[in-house]
Amino acid sequence: MKVNILKVRNLCKNYPGVAALKNVNLNIQRNSVHCIVGENGAGKSTLIKILTCVEKPTRGEIFFNGQTYQARTIRNAINMGISTLFQELNVVDQLTVEENLTLGREKTKYGIIKKADNSEKVYTVLKDFAPDISLRRKVSSLSFVEKQIVEVVKALGVDANLIIMDEPTAALSDEESKRLFTVIKNLKNQNVTVIYISHILNDIFSIGDYVTVLRDGNVIGTEKVSDITTEELIKMMVGKTIIGNYASRNIDYTRKVLYVRNLCTEKLHDINFDLYKNEIIGFYGLRGAGKSEIAQALFGLDTIKKGEVTVNGKMRNFRIPKDAMRNGIIMVPEERLTEGLIMKLPIRSNISITNLKKISKLFVINSKKERVIAKEYIKKMNIKARSIEQKAKTLSGGNQQKVVISKCLNADSVIFLMDEPTRGIDVGAKEEIHKIIRDLATEGASIIIFSSEYSEIVNLCDKIFLLWEGEILQVLDNKDVHAEEVMNVITQGKKRAKNEDSN
Amino acid sequence: MKIQISVDFLQKLVIVGVLVLIVIVLSLLTDTFLTVTNLTNVSRQVSFVVITGSAVTLLMISGNFDLSVGSTLGLTGMLSAYFVTLGVPLWLSIILSTLIGTCIGLLNGVLVVRLKIPSIIATLGTMYIARGVALVITKGHSIHLGLGPNFTFLGRGYLGPVPITLLIIIFILGLFYFIETKTILGKYAFAIGGNKRTTLLSGVNVDAIIILLYILVGTLTGFSGTLLASRLGVGQPMVGQGFEFDVIVAVILGGTSLKGGEGSIFGMLIGAFIVGLIANGLNLLGIHSFYQSILKGVILAGAVLLDIMLKKRITV
Repeated sequence: MKVNILKVRNLCKNYPGVAALKNVNLNIQRNSVHCIVGENGAGKSTLIKILTCVEKPTRGEIFFNGQTYQARTIRNAINMGISTLFQELNVVDQLTVEENLTLGREKTKYGIIKKADNSEKVYTVLKDFAPDISLRRKVSSLSFVEKQIVEVVKALGVDANLIIMDEPTAALSDEESKRLFTVIKNLKNQNVTVIYISHILNDIFSIGDYVTVLRDGNVIGTEKVSDITTEELIKMMVGKTIIGNYASRNIDYTRKVLYVRNLCTEKLHDINFDLYKNEIIGFYGLRGAGKSEIAQALFGLDTIKKGEVTVNGKMRNFRIPKDAMRNGIIMVPEERLTEGLIMKLPIRSNISITNLKKISKLFVINSKKERVIAKEYIKKMNIKARSIEQKAKTLSGGNQQKVVISKCLNADSVIFLMDEPTRGIDVGAKEEIHKIIRDLATEGASIIIFSSEYSEIVNLCDKIFLLWEGEILQVLDNKDVHAEEVMNVITQGKKRAKNEDSN
Repeated sequence: MKIQISVDFLQKLVIVGVLVLIVIVLSLLTDTFLTVTNLTNVSRQVSFVVITGSAVTLLMISGNFDLSVGSTLGLTGMLSAYFVTLGVPLWLSIILSTLIGTCIGLLNGVLVVRLKIPSIIATLGTMYIARGVALVITKGHSIHLGLGPNFTFLGRGYLGPVPITLLIIIFILGLFYFIETKTILGKYAFAIGGNKRTTLLSGVNVDAIIILLYILVGTLTGFSGTLLASRLGVGQPMVGQGFEFDVIVAVILGGTSLKGGEGSIFGMLIGAFIVGLIANGLNLLGIHSFYQSILKGVILAGAVLLDIMLKKRITV
């Protein structure tokens, strides 16, 4: 038996316009829990996609159990012994635990399902891991962690040697996380290796043996968890941040454009903040901390349960985005492919749609004006396209994002809610977009950045709000920001905040 | 690269080519096909499909669906005759029946948008309801007495040498072509069909637009119904069965995607004529109508297959 169950050599993955993985090398030791951490966009999800055959690598080799790993489908991978616990669970809610465990491997006689005998491996494993989960129960009645356990057990039933877990605790409470950790520790006894992907640092120190840090598609380093401190790990994740890019502006504190008090929705609790003319503020937190939820509540996409939103001195509660846009608010949505663009339509139509009134009379569109505006933005935003008639789906990620920003600028708004404005695009385009955002603020707009990328927040924002589970934990001025402290707060949330209170 | 720009154009070229081919074949095979009388006849037959189809094309571009147009056509046609027998003036009867169509459209829109019933199910429901109402009112009988001599004016009359129906079709086609290509409504229909969420986030009242499109379909169908009754000279509650599929076939032949986001009124017009001419040609050739149904099915599947292959070829 080889010491390393999985070896990755010089793995590269290029998407149009972006290198998501650059010469990644990894050694995963047998019977260990190997954590992979990194910010959003560091390359974690691309790595999972390649290991689970959702994507093909551009270059590089992977060896599994000493042999070249060439699975073509996810089923293939499972048969070779690699199972994956995705964030979106792969259980069928309408079936019982037993039916889920045997799904696809039912024993049949003359085409009729035979009652499985209890000596089957999955049953013994289930008893080992979770004796309290009854085989007869409908999976829909299980909690999230119980469903995860069912999936892990199912993977063991087909003799998985390696289980990849993608942010498994993102949706779990502390108690549930502990239960999952017990399961993971148990897996080691069953000779199963775990690749644990997360950005919650507490998890890594609770169960990890090794940790590899990814940043911008590069492996920054692999360390033994027992040999490293939280501070060192955070430094590896964030890197040397060039804060020199941040330049303070003259903020017009006499003009309060947005005033939010005690904003509550399904996911948000008592959000308070003010936004002034020329100001850029930022909300920073992990996935699920409530960033998008704030943007959506302000843009008429979510029901506000309680609280007050005042725009330019008038109290507002928007029913649909159209209402928000009438009041000068526009949102750059988080998902450019499914929320920002209409892929089938040309750049021209994608840009004009936010403000057809400007180019029409009595509902009839002046197509000449439409073309002029589209051309202006292509030039102003440096969009690399053959013509304004090029369809959005044929552009690279960075250029697509510039089209999204263009359409938002075209709405002639004064308040910009920007949800992950540069996610997944290359460094050059990122810099360009950052410059546009700064220029906008200087010219008189007010901007809220929602980002899970530390350097973006620090480089752009005058004031930074740290979010955890729908609550603002701390508000910092740009000059008071220290990477380690901030990361500590957003990755460890309340636990940390409470400790500080008691100290 | 140049090829990519002309995908839409190529699609249109193909269906126009098919239409021309059919015309050539039929005029070679029969003496009666290429006559003014016959072609006028075909135009009249497809006119109802074209009128309703103009609005249905926009609706399907937006990614929605309407199965109720056949029943609506039957109901409003019957009502236009029924109102006349009650003593309502003909002009008012036409307007009232058209407005009933509008109401059915509104109902469809509200069911789909506000109550979030999938459009196929919701309009299947109104399809049964409208047909049922027509049968209840007439007790299943046709209305042909007491309609007066003017009742058939719209459907059979001429303005100079030109059939009135033809003028109406040209007007409605022109209007909807204009809506499709030049107006905000047309633009929104494509945007909603292309990506509803993005369109909502771009500040469009998506719900209102979809309801409006259903209302347009209902209104035009209502008007088609009165036109059909006028042409037949009778108010018939069972008329228009299968009409919804004729419309949908024409729209799909015309290159409108079932998923929405692409399509054209022009394509629908050609599609309607392809279906109409084939039926007409088979009649002239003395082939039994049973075979027409088979052929219609083959053509529909073939057209969509061709479309899929064409797109694959070009985007690769």
